[in-house]
Amino acid sequence: MPGTPTAKKSRHIESSGQLCIYCGACVGVCPLNCIYLDETRITFDEKICTRCEICVKACPVGAIEIG
Amino acid sequence: MVKELATDVLVVGAGPAGSMTAKWAAKNGARVLMIEKRQEIGSPVRCGEGMSKDWLKEVGITPGRWINVEVEGARIFSPSEKILEINEKSAGNEVGYVVERDGFDKALAIDAANAGAEVLLKTAATQVLKEGGRIVGVRAKQFGEPFEIRAAVTIGADGFESQVGRWAGLPTNLALRDMDSCLQYRMTNVDCDVRYCDFYLGKVAPGGYVWVFPKEKGLANVGIGVQLSKIQGMAEARKYLDDWIAKHPAYAKGRTIDVVGGGVSISKPVTQAAADGIMLVGDAARMIDPLTGGGIANGCIAGKICGEVAAEAVHLRTPTKEFFQKYEKGWRARLEEKLYRNWLAKEKLCSLSDETFDKIVDALQGVHLEKLTVHNILKAVHAKYPDVTREFEEFL
Repeated sequence: MPGTPTAKKSRHIESSGQLCIYCGACVGVCPLNCIYLDETRITFDEKICTRCEICVKACPVGAIEIG
Repeated sequence: MVKELATDVLVVGAGPAGSMTAKWAAKNGARVLMIEKRQEIGSPVRCGEGMSKDWLKEVGITPGRWINVEVEGARIFSPSEKILEINEKSAGNEVGYVVERDGFDKALAIDAANAGAEVLLKTAATQVLKEGGRIVGVRAKQFGEPFEIRAAVTIGADGFESQVGRWAGLPTNLALRDMDSCLQYRMTNVDCDVRYCDFYLGKVAPGGYVWVFPKEKGLANVGIGVQLSKIQGMAEARKYLDDWIAKHPAYAKGRTIDVVGGGVSISKPVTQAAADGIMLVGDAARMIDPLTGGGIANGCIAGKICGEVAAEAVHLRTPTKEFFQKYEKGWRARLEEKLYRNWLAKEKLCSLSDETFDKIVDALQGVHLEKLTVHNILKAVHAKYPDVTREFEEFL
């Protein structure tokens, strides 16, 4: 529902397994500490994430998308 | 009933800073447990693998099989690719080794284990244990099974993406300008010069640089760091690196056999690296040199101090923030001034236009400098481009 006030919060954040190199750059830069790296799996705590997109910029290979 | 372990000193993370801390705490008589979330210490590598060497003796590291090449010097390439060479004579300690980082980490972990430290692999900390405002260990998982580890002193040596420090409430958050996003390819079939570590500065890597560190003839780590506040979109590190490689035939003909990524902090030193029951060390304490992006030397130097203080705190039963001022004073006396000075220099370098950068390196062509100090460089630049040195008055 783009354009509605709740649209921002409802946006989904994910890391593409095809691009991700599990380097942890996103984990280190997240100001709210809501990204978890477990070997070859990255997860985002969507309840805490404010979609500030710093991790999107930090990712050297462009694997993180907020849809 | 959840399984519970107890130790004097718990080190979270078995990188160089963690292993150094574990080794020196064990050598000084403490019971030490070091946990590592990965199944293999040192792997996968997240490092450019270049390091200086003058500090190794100080912390008790003997050069070993982990050395790929010993370089004669570093070459700084200005935006128009004029070269400033820094060698042992002119810089003293700015040159060193290109290493096999996983081998290096393993060697340090072996040292720690031989000094008496226990090591647990596949063991990740999931939260710190707090009692009355003091950290008394961590909750952990080994092979997915949860348990608790209680410790008099907990050490956060969990690297750039450090969780331990944040859980403990220590101020290690980074602003956009305090971080570089890095990507590196290990490339074969390239024309690298095994005598030098090369650094390319300017617009090719906003707020960072492109590096070429030779592993052997024809094989090199080719990487880039770009400052987050200076980039806009997604995957910029990769775009800048791919662009740079495409424009350099010596590397464009190479084949990539490995991709490494990661974050590097380029911040000022942190204001606090210890609290009741806990100390942070290495990248977790943002001890990376903000000018070079190198973290190994500082992590190991601080690790030795951290391990010694941890063991002493165990003996005296004083794992308090007040007692850990001994660690704060120790690592700051050894590293803080240089960290701050290099942060200032980095800020200045990042603000230079490509044109100014070219002028500086140009002014140094053919000039013999007895010692490569900022003062000597600026004197030489002043002789040819007096207008340029006006920008640097605070350094004179």
